[in-house]
Amino acid sequence: MMKKTKLWKSIFRHDFSDTPRTRLQRVFGNVFLHLHPVRIPRDAIRVPYTWGMGGLSFYLFLVLIVTGVLLMFYYRPTTIHAYQDIKDLAYAVTLGGLFRNMHRWAAHLMVVVVILHMLRVFLTGAYKPPREYNWVVGVLLLVMTLFLSYTGYLLPWDQLALWAVTVGAQMAASSPVLGNEGPFRLPFITTGNDARFVLVGGTIIGDATLIRFYVLHCIAVPFLFTIFLCVHLWRVRKDSFSRQTGEKVDVWPHLVSREFLAALLVTIVLFVWSIALQAPLEGEANINVTPNPSKAPWYFVGLQELLVYFDPWIAGVVLPTVIIVGLMAIPYVDTNPKGVGYYPRMQWRRIGGLPVWSPVERPFAVNVFLLGIILWFVLIFIGYYCRGPNWEWYWPWEEWSHRRLSKLTLKNLPNLWGGLLLVSFFLQGLPFPAKAKQALAARAGPKAPGAASTVCHLGLGLVMAAATLLPLITAPDVEYPMRSLYPTLFESLGHARNAPVMVGFYTLVNRLGPGVGYPVLWGVIGLVGLFLGIVGRWFARFKDRMYEELGPIKYAIVIGLLLCMVGVLGKIVLRLLFGIKYLLSFPVVNFNV
Amino acid sequence: MADASAPTAWAWLEERLGRRQFLLRAGWAFFYVFLGGWLLSNLKFLFPNVLYEPTLSFKAGRPEEFPVGISEKWKKAQRVWVVRTPEGFYAFWARCTHLGCTPNWFEAEGRFKCPCHGSNFNKNGDVIAGPAPKPLWRCSVQFADDGQLFIDKAQLENRPGPREQGEFFLPMKA
Repeated sequence: MMKKTKLWKSIFRHDFSDTPRTRLQRVFGNVFLHLHPVRIPRDAIRVPYTWGMGGLSFYLFLVLIVTGVLLMFYYRPTTIHAYQDIKDLAYAVTLGGLFRNMHRWAAHLMVVVVILHMLRVFLTGAYKPPREYNWVVGVLLLVMTLFLSYTGYLLPWDQLALWAVTVGAQMAASSPVLGNEGPFRLPFITTGNDARFVLVGGTIIGDATLIRFYVLHCIAVPFLFTIFLCVHLWRVRKDSFSRQTGEKVDVWPHLVSREFLAALLVTIVLFVWSIALQAPLEGEANINVTPNPSKAPWYFVGLQELLVYFDPWIAGVVLPTVIIVGLMAIPYVDTNPKGVGYYPRMQWRRIGGLPVWSPVERPFAVNVFLLGIILWFVLIFIGYYCRGPNWEWYWPWEEWSHRRLSKLTLKNLPNLWGGLLLVSFFLQGLPFPAKAKQALAARAGPKAPGAASTVCHLGLGLVMAAATLLPLITAPDVEYPMRSLYPTLFESLGHARNAPVMVGFYTLVNRLGPGVGYPVLWGVIGLVGLFLGIVGRWFARFKDRMYEELGPIKYAIVIGLLLCMVGVLGKIVLRLLFGIKYLLSFPVVNFNV
Repeated sequence: MADASAPTAWAWLEERLGRRQFLLRAGWAFFYVFLGGWLLSNLKFLFPNVLYEPTLSFKAGRPEEFPVGISEKWKKAQRVWVVRTPEGFYAFWARCTHLGCTPNWFEAEGRFKCPCHGSNFNKNGDVIAGPAPKPLWRCSVQFADDGQLFIDKAQLENRPGPREQGEFFLPMKA
């Protein structure tokens, strides 16, 4: 009856019978559904292929908008009201607590889902031509998701919020060129006009910051996010889906019903989660007192842990930029056309005599990407479970103590040695071009290139080991007697509790006596050097082939990113096992590596 | 060699920026430079000209109130440690030079330790462990007219040498 009225017919142009014709009409006659194509290959929408992660990110974004708008009805972004308003929402407003919890948990879930979506797209090669640009847009959306989390974090104005934002804003002050405390600062930059000042809206975090973050969180970034989201979704359709096998099926009902079910499921999960678990709210923000330890939310705790190992301008500005730009560069430097539309096929292979479970078709891309993700989550794990009061190392099963005598000591490598280490490390990335190989072979015989490569790599390995360990064992401690109890680095680090390898070396020398102990250590340095050299030499064949395939520019990008990643790992090892703080240090210009 | 390539380079320039196109391109270039400059100048909007922030100086009380050692009396209210040595006074701004958290003082170890990334400083404010790149900042300490200590967090110094003299160290025998 109602369906016969003019009103009904003006809204719904099609009838509701399940015919092929109406199935199509439902999709292209509807502004929201027409984001979809009308027909799609059956295999493209299988859950084990997509995990539904892209659609779920979008749905969670909608949930966040709805719950966020509801929260805005009660929330006032001023330092005197904000915390009280959140308390009211949590305890006094009907359903306020539920919506706040849902907003928080949906935000956490969205970060997870967006990361998993990226992982899925990477593993199935869905970023390869013609979808390169959409991958870039996707990375931007990931960055914006994290930035939304960061800005939203300040709004409750509790201790957690304030100190996470203090640290984040201070990273801006450490940015090169534009930060007041960064390296290469421009001469006119002060605390009153640097990058932090713009972000915070003043020199201290207060009302000005709150309103800035509020506008960014509620209006500016969601607006940008929506624009890029439109581009992203539109391009998914325009660039065609990455998997094209299987017969074509109608999007209504096959895809739409899946999406609806997934959304329903996530909603139920979120409801249960939000009823069972309160969103955290610590004490009201106090600019003078920091909780001990003060931990960022899990998705930033990896960054927080990274900041322990590097100067803020590296860990807070350079590395995130390198990671983001590196992610965006992936589709442009990965020229391997294989692996689109299916997950990597794994098999056991022998690599350097060791059995390794590795992908068949694009082992380098997949292994390096997974290594990066794993590294990031290892940092998160360390930050979350292995750090206690004063951000000191506690094993997860250890009890925290605020009064533990920790005797932490960190020492800088002398600049020349540290510089040598850095240079020799990055020199390991130089390729041996085929032309140079031919020239050398023509002049000195067919075995010469291989021998030259071996000599270079072993040499660099030995230099790296020597540049790290020799000064640690022989150099005087320049901080003695002002800041150090012992006159040499070896003794200082040998008595520290946070340099287990150095402590081992030191005890070794004391047990065996210097006559035997030192020669043993020189032997150890030689072995470490040889090991590093052999790893480099083993990688050389692959490196040279990659150089011939990619050409100098792409090769430089790929090897640069790879060395940065390995370098981060290396610096973490040097810090945790050897007690090394900086490799290069020029405190006058705020330049420390 | 230069003579041979000069005409082609000239032709290329002529084609790109030649008479036919020059006025049009110059016009557009002018327009974009103007537009870009204007947009860039709008960035100043984001820099507030007036700040509503608390003052950075305060009176910390009479010197007799501080025994020799590190006083946490003003930490919660003003984020400052007043340090008295047998020779006189100095004051630390309780803000980690790494990323701005407030460290805590641990008497037993004689260290300031930061809860955010684990920097450790000794009694002089020098970094002995953790990621902080610089020593703790010292504030200027002077006598106010009424004999109280007057501490100013806007005047900071952390270089060994300058930080132990002038307004950053107030001599007074204990």
